[in-house]
Amino acid sequence: MQPAAVYTRDRCVTGIHGLDEILRGGIPYGSTVLAAGTCGSGKTTLGMEFLVRGALAGEACAHFTATEPSVKLLENIRQYAFFDMNMVDSGLINVFDMDVLYSWLGLEKASFELDDVHALIKAIVDIVNTIGVTRLVIDSVTTLCYKIKSEQLIRDFLFTLGKKLATLGCTTILISEITSATENAHWSSFGVEEAIADGIIVMGDVERMGHLLRFLQVVKMRGTAHSRAKHAIELTPLGVMLTPMLKWGAQSDKTSRWGS
Amino acid sequence: MFELDQRIAEQLTEVALNSAVQVRCGNSNAFMVTASTIIPLMQMFEMGGVYISANRGAVEIIEAFESIGIDVSKIQFIDLVSSGILGGTDVPYSNIHFVDSPIMLESVLLRTLYILRTTTSERNFVFLDSVNALAIYNEDRILAEYLHTFINTFRQREILSVVLNVPDQTPPLVLSNLDLYCTDLIDRGQVVIH
Repeated sequence: MQPAAVYTRDRCVTGIHGLDEILRGGIPYGSTVLAAGTCGSGKTTLGMEFLVRGALAGEACAHFTATEPSVKLLENIRQYAFFDMNMVDSGLINVFDMDVLYSWLGLEKASFELDDVHALIKAIVDIVNTIGVTRLVIDSVTTLCYKIKSEQLIRDFLFTLGKKLATLGCTTILISEITSATENAHWSSFGVEEAIADGIIVMGDVERMGHLLRFLQVVKMRGTAHSRAKHAIELTPLGVMLTPMLKWGAQSDKTSRWGS
Repeated sequence: MFELDQRIAEQLTEVALNSAVQVRCGNSNAFMVTASTIIPLMQMFEMGGVYISANRGAVEIIEAFESIGIDVSKIQFIDLVSSGILGGTDVPYSNIHFVDSPIMLESVLLRTLYILRTTTSERNFVFLDSVNALAIYNEDRILAEYLHTFINTFRQREILSVVLNVPDQTPPLVLSNLDLYCTDLIDRGQVVIH
């Protein structure tokens, strides 16, 4: 008897050392992935490397930054050997300041209503569609969602945005700032992002005898039989590097706000 | 005059690139055994490599090698000691990398892999100095697990791993695991002092 053919989804190969192995080949195309992490855990570097690896493969990529000005972001990322400023000059990597986008849309206000949210979705989707973006990073969705006062509206915003980007074949990483990466913590600030996202990558620190070791753990990735183990990471000039965290050292030696 | 143990070079001719060699020494002959291992790897087998130093600061090791005429420019050092000393990382050598502490075992592995990704040498070794120094900071079970991961990581990549060890300063669990994981043993642990 012939074995049944196994359906496998096409995947967006992240190009990040070790991550594609964890994800059994990459992120399913068109997925929206929440990269949730504590401060200094490497979220922005992971997001930028995801874009740069795409640009190296000739893909158009976009980065929406709400946490630091684009100039500062690019200065920080220039230290990495995998980054080349020509990627920006040639239009493969497009960095947008959310403040500038808000200004274009007349959204310079403290909080967003339903119409504002729809205008923002339309603007992001139009940019993605016009440039032909296949990889997108929003850094951070937490900062953006602080302007959306209703949990229901946040849910609608993320669901609608994710659906439209998936239709365009755009694989998206939403960076989420969290204060703790312990087992009992939420993996998002508002509690709704994690339910809507197709995937969740948690980043944080394990404290071992007073030293912080960065870790990354894929806790969810729809359509993927991925590893759910905790992996130690290093941010090197060649980009993010991962190795499985030692089992006897994967728990912090005391509960701290930094991680599990 | 500094005298090398030539039998170590002979023993090294028997090992393959995907081998893991445990080198046992005593306190008093550690440097002679280290030099007798490193020199043939570099000069006879034309290998480059990574020297992980948990025992002493890398500057001290480089100066000791240079004092007996060993050119260590093809070796990258990972120093696990000097970051624990304020000012210890201000060094005149560009081939020294620092990891904050010997307890950051995964960082040591990743830093080694990073260096090996950037090296131009076709054949490489990783020299771990030493298991007993790591045992000062790490519990037996995490160290045993680490050595298992460490050795298999490099064997899989056809990078020769050489693990220096002073047996009487190494916990029994780690020692027995090391015997299990390593493919070859160079035993200079019994030192006769005349």
